[in-house]
Amino acid sequence: MAADPKMKFLVVDDFSTMRRIVRNLLKELGFTNVDEAEDGAIALQKLQGGGFEFVVTDWNMPNMDGLTLLQTIRATPSLKHLPVLMITAEAKKENIIAAAQAGASGYIVKPFTAGTLSEKLNKIFEKIGLA
Amino acid sequence: MTANNDSNDLEALFDSIAADFVPEKPVAPVKTPVAAAPATDDNDDLQALFDSVAAEAEVATANASATSSVVDETAENWSNQEAVFNRIGHMARALHDTLGQLGYDKLLEKTVSALPDAKDRLAYVANLTEQAACRVLNATDIASPLVDDMENGARALGERWNKVFANQLSTPDFKLLAVDTRAFLNEQLPQKTKATHAQLTEIMMAQDFQDLTGQVIKKIVGLAQELETGLMTVLLEIVPEAKRTVEVTSLMNGPVVNAEGRTDVVVNQGQVDDLLDSLGF
Repeated sequence: MAADPKMKFLVVDDFSTMRRIVRNLLKELGFTNVDEAEDGAIALQKLQGGGFEFVVTDWNMPNMDGLTLLQTIRATPSLKHLPVLMITAEAKKENIIAAAQAGASGYIVKPFTAGTLSEKLNKIFEKIGLA
Repeated sequence: MTANNDSNDLEALFDSIAADFVPEKPVAPVKTPVAAAPATDDNDDLQALFDSVAAEAEVATANASATSSVVDETAENWSNQEAVFNRIGHMARALHDTLGQLGYDKLLEKTVSALPDAKDRLAYVANLTEQAACRVLNATDIASPLVDDMENGARALGERWNKVFANQLSTPDFKLLAVDTRAFLNEQLPQKTKATHAQLTEIMMAQDFQDLTGQVIKKIVGLAQELETGLMTVLLEIVPEAKRTVEVTSLMNGPVVNAEGRTDVVVNQGQVDDLLDSLGF
């Protein structure tokens, strides 16, 4: 993978199992610099601390949901450049459209495979000129 | 004797009252009810009771109006209250009968006792599945480095053997390679495959939740179906027609559990990608 293996990821999901799975998959793809947040509000705090280069987030979470997190990221000058990949069980077409309109870099519907994650990551890297 | 017990009691009561008032002719009034007894049912008894109460109230009102104003007022209040009590009594009876006829009394009783139980059961399912997920993830965390070790060890030995075949290895080095290979095959490899196998067994055993949660979920599905049927019947009777087609338009619905016949949802990643492509994203 051409993208920097030291690239720092933030994985946002309210279920620890899903955070662990995404973290493990990223590790297999060569990305070991991964931090976790259990909802949008905590994620935003961590992101504002700086240093992150990629956000992988769930949609349905307490306190702050993934769409609000995405919208907040896109509305914050210091964060709006961050790639945001949504991995969610929400499968209504209006969800996908809403996410795309809010500026999501990719949309993966659960349940998903390691291959899908790898493919979407590469597509995003291509788009932002990292691959 | 075909008359029921209820009628017998009433007859006995009637007999005793009739005896007080008509001591000379106790037989005549008794005979008629006995003859009619086989046709008597609960409703007739209730109607008779109601009539007698209503008649008493009328008499009381009539008597009261003939006496002083204070007594008149008290009697009138009492008869009004009695009328209200009577009315409420009739309504409660009607409601009870209706619920009983529709089977809702059983449903309500069952719901009250079943819902806390269903909550506990679902918590149990959540608990077991979470435990299983943790066990599996822990097992893979343990097994992955073991597999990596075996892969790396085999690759290192393989490269050294390649050198043997390319005549690039000295005799002492070859002897060392033979010793290392023997140790790898006899000790490292069996030890690591055994440890990996133990983790595979752990992953397999972590699936034992399926049996338990399956049984619990089946029970809850049954309960939910009963509840739905009952509640839908009530709702269809109550909700105005215009309100029935309003859809819930939330963006947080969780997983689609049954996509059959729905056009507003996607069922796989390919459809997500197609939709985004078609929109130019």
